[in-house]
Parts: sequence; C-alpha cells; structure tokens
Amino acid sequence: MNSLTVYLVVGAVLFSLGLFGVLMRRNLIGMLISIELMLNGANLNFMAFNRFLAPEPAVGQIVTLFVMGIAAAEAAIGLSIILALFRYLHSINVERARRLEG
Amino acid sequence: MTSFLTDGLIHAAFWVVVGLTFGGAVLAVFPRNIVYNVLGLIVCLSGVAGLFLYLGSFFLALMQLLIYVGAICVAIVFAIMLSPPLHLEAPKRRIPKLVLSAGAAGLFFAAIAAVSWKTAWKPAAQRGTDWSITTIGHFLLTKYSLVFEVISLVLLVAIIGAILTTGFSRRLSS
Amino acid sequence: MMWFAKDPVLMAASACATLPFLAMAVILIFTRQHRRVSAAISLSAITMCLLSAVYLLMTLRHAPGPVQYQWAWIISSDMIIPFGFLLDRLSLLMLTIVAVIAFLVQVYSLGYMAGDPGFSRYYAFQSLFAWAMMTMVIAPGMLQLYIFWELVGLASYLLIGFYYEKWSASQAGKKAFVMTRLGDIGFFLGIIAVLLGFGDLGILSMNEAAQAHKIAPFVVTLSSLLIFCGVVGKSAQFPLLTWLPDAMEGPTPVSALLHSATMVAAGVYMMSRIFPFFAASPDAMAVALAIGTITMLLASTMAMVTHDIKQVWAYSTVSQLGFMVMALASGGYFAGVFHLTTHAGFKALLFLCSGIFIHEFHTNDMREIGRGGGRKLTIPMVCMTVGALALAGIFPLSGFFSKEAIMGVLAGNPNKIWLLAGLLGALMTAYYSFRLIFMILFPREQTHGAEAHGSHGHDDHGHEEGHHGATFWAMAWPVMILAGITLVLGFFQKELEHYLLGAGPALHGAEAHGEGAGHGLGHYVLLFSAVSLALGGIVWAWFEFGRKKATQEGFLRRYPKVEALFANRWYMDHFYRWLVDYVVYCGFTNLFTRNDRRVIDGGIDGICRFTVGSGRVASFLQSGMLQYNLVLMVAGAGALVLFFVL
Repeated sequence: MNSLTVYLVVGAVLFSLGLFGVLMRRNLIGMLISIELMLNGANLNFMAFNRFLAPEPAVGQIVTLFVMGIAAAEAAIGLSIILALFRYLHSINVERARRLEG
Repeated sequence: MTSFLTDGLIHAAFWVVVGLTFGGAVLAVFPRNIVYNVLGLIVCLSGVAGLFLYLGSFFLALMQLLIYVGAICVAIVFAIMLSPPLHLEAPKRRIPKLVLSAGAAGLFFAAIAAVSWKTAWKPAAQRGTDWSITTIGHFLLTKYSLVFEVISLVLLVAIIGAILTTGFSRRLSS
Repeated sequence: MMWFAKDPVLMAASACATLPFLAMAVILIFTRQHRRVSAAISLSAITMCLLSAVYLLMTLRHAPGPVQYQWAWIISSDMIIPFGFLLDRLSLLMLTIVAVIAFLVQVYSLGYMAGDPGFSRYYAFQSLFAWAMMTMVIAPGMLQLYIFWELVGLASYLLIGFYYEKWSASQAGKKAFVMTRLGDIGFFLGIIAVLLGFGDLGILSMNEAAQAHKIAPFVVTLSSLLIFCGVVGKSAQFPLLTWLPDAMEGPTPVSALLHSATMVAAGVYMMSRIFPFFAASPDAMAVALAIGTITMLLASTMAMVTHDIKQVWAYSTVSQLGFMVMALASGGYFAGVFHLTTHAGFKALLFLCSGIFIHEFHTNDMREIGRGGGRKLTIPMVCMTVGALALAGIFPLSGFFSKEAIMGVLAGNPNKIWLLAGLLGALMTAYYSFRLIFMILFPREQTHGAEAHGSHGHDDHGHEEGHHGATFWAMAWPVMILAGITLVLGFFQKELEHYLLGAGPALHGAEAHGEGAGHGLGHYVLLFSAVSLALGGIVWAWFEFGRKKATQEGFLRRYPKVEALFANRWYMDHFYRWLVDYVVYCGFTNLFTRNDRRVIDGGIDGICRFTVGSGRVASFLQSGMLQYNLVLMVAGAGALVLFFVL
C-alpha cells in the first residue's frame, strides 16, 4: 500500500471507468457523473505524487483543491446546460442531440 | 506484535477502501438507473476521501467529503429531480457502442498504465515534511494568490453562467 | 557607411551597379509626366556611371590582379554563390565601353526621341538597360551574371517593343525575348552543370580550375556547350539569329545600343569572360568556331540583298558577332575582345548615323533616303562613311586593326578553311556596306517602279529645319565623337593588348600559337590579301552601285532564286514557322491538349468523384453523435501514447 504504483493504478482505473462512462452513457447526467469520476482519478494522481515524490507537500494539496473548485464550477455549468437542453429537447439523451449530423 | 497487528489492520483497511472506491465507481457507471449512479458516485468519492487519508492529508479528505459528496452530489440529485420522470423504462444499450467505448477506454487505460509502469519515478532530492493546513493557507494567499483569485472568478462566472443558461432556456421554451 | 566611404573603388563600382536602377525607379514612379526631368535624371545617372567607369579604369589599370568584392549570397554545404563585383581588366574595359556607348546613345536620344509621347518611359528603360548590362559586366559569379543577363534581355524586350501599339514591334519584342530565352535555357542548364560538376560559380575559380584541369573534361565540355547556347541566343548566332534583324522595330538609338555594346555584346563578353574555361574544352571550341563561321557567312549574304538601311547594319552585326565568336573559338582572346571593342564603336556610329537619316526622311529604305537627298546631310554622311570603312576593315580605321588580329588568329589555325571563310566574309562585308553608302550617295530616280511617292516634298522641308535645331546637334555630336573614336581606336591596339593580356598569364597558353603564326612574312601576305579583298569589295560595289551608269541592282538580281533565298533569310523564319506549326502546334500542343483533357481534367474529375464518394461513405462518421467522436479521439490519443511509450 505504500507504493506509488498502486495509487497510480487506482487512479488510472477510476479515470478509465469514468472515460468509459462518458463514452457509453446516453444519459447526460450519467456522463456528468462519469466526468466527476475522471476528475477524481486525476486528483488521486496529484495526491499520490505529492505524497511520494514532490519536494513540497503543500503544493499537491493546493492543486487538488483547485481541481475540486473547477469540478464544482463544471458541475454547476454542466447541470444548467443539461437542464436547458432538457427544456429544449424534452430529453436528456445525448443521442437525441445530433444537430451536427453530417 | 501490536504494531504488526495494527499494520495488518491498516493494510486490510486500505484494500477495503480501494474496493469501496472501485465498487462505487462501477455502480456510478453501469446501472441505467440514474439514482443508483449518484449513490455509487457518493460511495466512490467517499472511498477516494479515504485514500486521501492514506496519502497523508486529513484536510483534503474532509474537503473531498464536503465539496464532492456534500455539494456536487446534492446538485446532481437536484438536477435529476428536475429532469425526466424516472419511472419511464430506459432504453436498452446497444452492443456495438458498448464494445467501441470499452475498447477505447481500455486502450486509454493501457496507455496510462504503461506510462505508470515504464516511467522510472524519482523522488525529489529534498522533501519537505510540512503537511500543516497553515502552510496551505499561507501558500494560497502568497505564492498562489493569483490562481486563487482566478479560481474565485471562475466560480463566479460559473454561477452567473448557470443562472443565465437556465434562465434563457426557460424563456426560449415557454 | 564609414567603410564604404573609405574605399572609393568600391564606391564607384556600387555607383555603376545602383544609380541607373534608381534613375529608372524614380522616373517610373515620380517623373513620368515631366520629360525633361526624366531625361535629366537618366542622363545624370549614366554620366555618373561613365565617370565611375573611367575612374575605375584609371585607378585599376596597373592593378596586379583582379579586384574582387564579393559577399556570399547562398552557402549550402560545398556550394557557394557569390554576389558582388569583379573588377579585372576585361570587365573594366567592357564597363567603360558600355558606359560610353550608353551615355552617347542617351544624349543622341534627346534629339531622336524629342516629342515622343513615351519619352520618360524610354529613358527609364534605357537606364534599366544600362544598369543591367553594367552590373552583368562586373558580376563575379555565373549566377549573378545570368540574372543580369536576363535583365538585359528584359530591357531589350521592353525597348524593342517600345512602340507597343505597332503590331510588328510587339511581335519583334516577343520574338527577341523568346528566341534568346531558348538559348538561355541552355545557359542555365550549363550553370547547373557547372554547379554539379564543380560546385563553385565564381568566375575566377571556374577559370582557374578549368585551366589547371581540376574539373572533369566532360563536365567542362558539357557545360561549355550548354553555356554557349546562351551565347548563341544572346549574340544571335546561327540557329537563333533571326531575332536580331526584327529587333529593328525599336527606336534607332535602341538598335545602336543593342547592337554595339549591350544586348548582343553580352554573349561575346560572357564567352570571353569565361574564356579559359571554354579554352579547356577543344570540342566546345570547335563547335563554337563552326557556328561562328556559319553565322558570319549567312548574315553577310542576307545583308547583300536587303534595302532596309537598319537591316543591313543588323545583318552586319550578326556577321561581325560571328567573327568575334570565330576569333574567340580559335583561341584569339585578345582578337575577339578587341573586335568587340572596335565593333561597339563603329556599329553604334553606323546606327546613330542611320538614325539621323531615318529621323530626317521618315523611311528606312535606303533608295528613298538617297532620292530624298541623303547626301546633303554632310555630317552624318561623312560619319557613316567612316563607319562603313571601319566595318569593311580599311587601313587607318579601328575595324582594320581588329579584323587583322582576327585574321591572324584564324591563320594560326591548322585548318585553312576557316581563314578562307573569314576572308570571304571580309569581302562580302565591304561589298554590302558600300552598296548601302553608294545607294544613298548616288541615287537613281528610275530604279523602282513605284516612283509616285518617291521624293516627298516635306522631307526636304523638315530636313532644312532640323539642320540647325538643337535636336540635330544633340544627334550629331555623339556621332562625331564616335567617328573620332573609330578613327583613333585602332592605333591603341598595342596598348590594349598589353593592358588586357598583361596580367593574365593563364590566357597566354591559348594565345601563343595564334599570335605567333600571325607575325612574320605570312602576316604581311595575310594583311595584304585581307585589305585587297576589302578594297575589291568596295570597288565591286562601286561598279554596281556607284558609277554613273550603274544599274544599282546588284549581281544577285540575275539569280532570282539566290536572291530570294538571301532575302528570306535562307528561309530560316519559314522553317521556324513550319517547326512551330507542325511540331509544336500539331505535335506537342496536341499531346498537351490530350494530356490536359484526359489526364489532368480526368484526374481532377476523378479526385472530385472520389472525394464525393468517399465523403458519402465516410459521412456515417459524422453521425452527429458526440460520443462516437469522443471514442475516436480517445482511442487515437491512447494509441499515440502507447506508440510512444512502448
């Protein structure tokens, strides 16, 4: 448990699961949840590097805090967009939002 | 003897936390019911908070619980309540899309894992030991004050943007 | 700027290489409406150049070796392409000739072009011409030489087609440009051959290396032959000689400049510039000798039948250029350059004199000029006779000395056929030039059936007026100066020879056998025979055109087929027409059209169809579904990372 690689792999698994969710889910809120997972995977990496490699332990924590802030902003904006889209399409299925079809 | 026992206990607890995280993540991604997803997300984020504890930052673990579990998840729940009725049966997933996404995500996972394995990680020559919150606060207001301000601005913009987006969309639809 | 001012030689050279260009730019941009200002600008620029050239000649006369200023322009591994000035004896001599002739022509043009609507434009192009030629002369490397060589071609195109509203003039300009361009392709390929085979385009290093046999012989031969193509085009040698007579469409002073010191001289100058390089390849020299001889004889025959005063001189230019090429190709470096020098003088003189006649009588036909009273214009008549005597090679005039030098060189050649050809050429030269002189001096009223518009009343009137005006004197003075030069230049042969050959021991090798054989008893026999042939030509012309009862028809009138052959330039233009019609239009153009329709158009259409079709096939990727796009993006990024990591 005290090895960097373990944390990195855990982070990678979280990130990839999140990615998978983003790619697969049709529910926009589900995609948002998956994005949160990806962000957490990245956070875990930051904290792991901070713990095992970094010269200054405060910096990694600060970066993680910032990521959390960004995540909060992203969630707020994302949810509001989803609500707007729902009003517009009466659905939160991304596959219905295909105005870009070629 | 006790230290061995304690160590073993801590070790076991670590894997329990990891399992909790993974389980939460799987629950957050796979079920088609969105409420399960949110619950899974909460579990997963709590697990990550536990991992933060193992990584030596009690403060960050608390923050994780507070911001993610306390704020974001609640916001998502609100969004769910405002969006379509849950009693409608969600359509079946299509297999090709599933396979494609799994393939892409797997490829990406392989890439990250390969990078983690191949890189020879080297700790910094001199490593500080100051984990106190005081230092974090000090840094935030001195060295990283600009980033701090920018983050505040981003949050402000996000709040205003969210209000505007929903407000205009309401006017558009009605 | 300090280092610049400290070196007057460099300053003078730069003046030659910039001032006329600036003059052209200023005239074209600012002073097109003010003709006096334009002429003043152009003249002052060329005067500065003349002063600089004379200064350079005087300063560097005794310089031990060539003075070279050069800056590397392109350096690519072993290849160096310099840009700058090379001031050695040859280039200084030529620079001075160009500056003198250009100056005199510009002064002359004040009179000749007076009142022309394109007066400012004319002076701008004159400046461009002078600039290009002078910078070409002092170029230290083949590429710079080539660039300015082409600029000379451009300037001559602009000036030949100066009366662009005239169909024949614009056609002649195009013809000159295209035909010289044909040769220039060879020239450029030759430069590339030098670059590939030797790697340095500096003239001095090329000459040294070729002289020391450091370059592979086949490279020297190949590149010499290719470069000689440029000479063929520029100096109107055998296959490409027909553009020069057509170049008469430009104003007469332009012809004077074109025929004496600039355009056509560029070819011979370039050949003498890299003479040691040429001399290192006997094969190329033999080809050049043959081409020079053919050109000389062909052009002389053409000159014997035409009645256009300017065309006579044009053909004679071609044949004299053939003489120079012959001289250079048989190893007579000095003879060639010397003839170039003297020819520049007397040919400019002849053209400027003809220009006065044309200006007075508004016709190019020598019979009409004679009938109109050409003999009454004393100054140009005397000067033209002087020029013709020089052209024929009669004793005290400059042409005599240079022609004798060439004959000496040709006599040194083991194969005497070249000498015979040269003597024949001298005979014909004397015949056709005095045919012209006598036709103007002793006009016949009844020679031609078309008598009605023969003598124009207003011609005499205009001539009386012009005789005393400033216009006339602006034209007369340069003519007299040139006549003076023609009279005395020949006596400086020894000085010039010493000046040119004093420094370059490398040149002596090829010179030795030519000059050595020239002296002694054979020399005097040769001298006598050449002069007597020239005199014979004059007498012959007198017999047919000069004496009281002469028919002024010429012996060729009795052989109509031969005359037609000569008058039609040996049907060379017809041949070119045929070539263009049948080979280019029917052959190549057809092929190209097919290529265009089938291959290129078809290819483009195919690409279009392919694009549309593949777009249709690939449009499923653009399903508008965000997640498919994302899948591709993620997979691509992952594959890329894996590729770099593993």
